[in-house]
Amino acid sequence: MKQIQKDRYLDPRMGALLLVLANVAAFSQKSFAVELSWIIYLTLLTTLYGCWIMALKWLTAFAAVLLIQWYVLPASPMVIATSFSIFANYARRMFPCLIVGMLMVKRTPLRNLIVGMRMLHIPQKLIIAISVTLRYFPAIREELGYIRDAMKLRNIHGAEKVECLAVPMIVSAAGTAEELSAAAVTRGIENPVRKTSAVQLRLGAVDALALTAGIAFTAAAFVIK
Amino acid sequence: MNATNNKRALTGKDVITVGIFSAVYFVINFIFMLLGGFHPMLWILMPGLIAVFTGIPYLMMCAKVQKPGSVLLMGLITGLIYFVTGQFTVIILITFVISCVLAELTRRQTKYRGSKGNMLSFVFFSLGMTGSPLPIWIMRDSFLAQITEQGMPADYIATLKAVSSPVMLVVMVVAPIVGALIGAAIARTMFNKHFIKAGIV
Repeated sequence: MKQIQKDRYLDPRMGALLLVLANVAAFSQKSFAVELSWIIYLTLLTTLYGCWIMALKWLTAFAAVLLIQWYVLPASPMVIATSFSIFANYARRMFPCLIVGMLMVKRTPLRNLIVGMRMLHIPQKLIIAISVTLRYFPAIREELGYIRDAMKLRNIHGAEKVECLAVPMIVSAAGTAEELSAAAVTRGIENPVRKTSAVQLRLGAVDALALTAGIAFTAAAFVIK
Repeated sequence: MNATNNKRALTGKDVITVGIFSAVYFVINFIFMLLGGFHPMLWILMPGLIAVFTGIPYLMMCAKVQKPGSVLLMGLITGLIYFVTGQFTVIILITFVISCVLAELTRRQTKYRGSKGNMLSFVFFSLGMTGSPLPIWIMRDSFLAQITEQGMPADYIATLKAVSSPVMLVVMVVAPIVGALIGAAIARTMFNKHFIKAGIV
């Protein structure tokens, strides 16, 4: 049971490689067949990692973009058509990258990401900074809620709102930075020895399969025009 | 340990400070990125708009961490998060690295202090976001070819050509420069009005 649970985490190294492949394919592919099969393959992969609802959403969204591009935009007034066709085109191209990216967000816990980055020999400082950034996002949301409540109490409206939002935000960020670094230094963040982790990353069969298919599709994007 | 060598290197505290202000920077950045989806003009002007509103977190970070590497770290984080979540292409990572190196060099020349040097480095830093709409021009040919194949009317194609013309490319690059100067001015006012009094700078 535990093994299955583990397999369902997307290995961060695999994810990053797949993302690079998706990027290369997005810029080089010109055939609709390759594009469609690439999308179908990636949604299948999403299901394999246990997110079948998300896979379904991606397929629907892709179909919607195609519909808009083929039927809605040619029929709609000039102003709308011109403003959205570039975006629709770009969105369609970015689809594979978005799918892999969201899969990473859903299926790679921060802890695994950190271990993965360490194994890739990414500098420790960059790793710390990235993990602090990712961890601070929920705190920002919380903070914004408090600030909004306080603004309601004081009845602040209009342009003043921006200033009243920015100042406490920055002040609290500065405070958190102080506290967090004091805590981290106490726990030995500056210790230069190689850090260990309870998480062990191993590439499984699903990862290998996914990668082979990914390379095949990227190659197809170059060959089939 | 070679303490003398490490004096100018980033400490754990510096790295955490950079990480936190990068989060604030990223959130503002992300809001404008979503806005950019409404109209290509908004998207093209996006790097400029972002520059206007991100002056405060950037300059605050500069004031807090007066060491080499901080700006590069901030840019790398933003570029990497955008890239890993699949919202942008590899291009954004490349433009971020280039603009951050320029910003970093500017700060080095101005000894990491002084509002003028930081302001100039912010101008360079803001140019990093141009990697987001840049694919409009990179993919232009294949895009226009596809539209023509679909049998779109000629004036329609002309409008699209105008949006993706070299002139717009210039607009896109100039916008963040102007935006960054405005953003830095706003930040300066805020610093004098609040942050220096509050004792956080």
